[in-house]
Amino acid sequence: MKSKRQIQKENTRQKIIDTAYQIYAIEGFSASTARIAKEAGVSHGTVFAHFKSLNDLLECIIGEFQIRLASEFHDMGESSASVSDFLDAHLKILMDHEEFYLRLITERSLLPEEVQYMYADNQSTIAHHFNLLLSREMKTGTVKEIPVHMLFNTWLGMIHYYLWNKDFFSPDEPVLARYAGELKHTFISLITK
Amino acid sequence: MKVCIACGMPMEKKSDFPQGDEQKEYCVYCARPDGTMRSFEEAKAGMTKFIMESQGFDESAAEKIAVSSMKKLPAWKNQLREE
Repeated sequence: MKSKRQIQKENTRQKIIDTAYQIYAIEGFSASTARIAKEAGVSHGTVFAHFKSLNDLLECIIGEFQIRLASEFHDMGESSASVSDFLDAHLKILMDHEEFYLRLITERSLLPEEVQYMYADNQSTIAHHFNLLLSREMKTGTVKEIPVHMLFNTWLGMIHYYLWNKDFFSPDEPVLARYAGELKHTFISLITK
Repeated sequence: MKVCIACGMPMEKKSDFPQGDEQKEYCVYCARPDGTMRSFEEAKAGMTKFIMESQGFDESAAEKIAVSSMKKLPAWKNQLREE
């Protein structure tokens, strides 16, 4: 049974994480912790009462992202999900986090090394599930025999290109929602025999 | 939800566990054929290979990523602190 103070502490911690996530999405990773504290309605000192360092805060944010991804894809490996289902699931997660993900792929070099490695590890989790599905469909003869990492990198390449050039592809609305169908169908056409 | 202490994989069904033993703290992929947990070096090599195969990364980069993620896992936290 948690005490009132403990619940309050957890709420504040979560508020800081959620606020930081939003500010980083809109302003990028050079936004200051002072800015985050102000938006979250807490003192600067409070931020560091909950997080040992800026690294720690960043790791928590990327960590939460990782948990969401892992749970979304974990069931897919064994089920009868198709490559199309996978692409839908991947796109959905990216659409839900479009602004933040764009910051991540654009400003990755600004982040501490450890956080960059977390991001890379996240991508491996996604790639792994993708590859399980692809390998299965290669065996049944529907998908071309191409190294799975190349198929993953091609898919990611397309998505990242649309995100990086969002101002050209979709200046006024989220870019992935607008092009999800086209990206998915094109990719499937390219990989299918 | 139970999570493997050696690689962080969620363990939800019997087949996620070594020899179907749901009491184990580590998953089927982190177990040796005899059911014991892999060593740090075995796990590091396995994770590095996993990253290289899934994304096509360079081996030394993949190893850095693997070690970084292992540092956070209960099975390896103490080991890496000693190094």
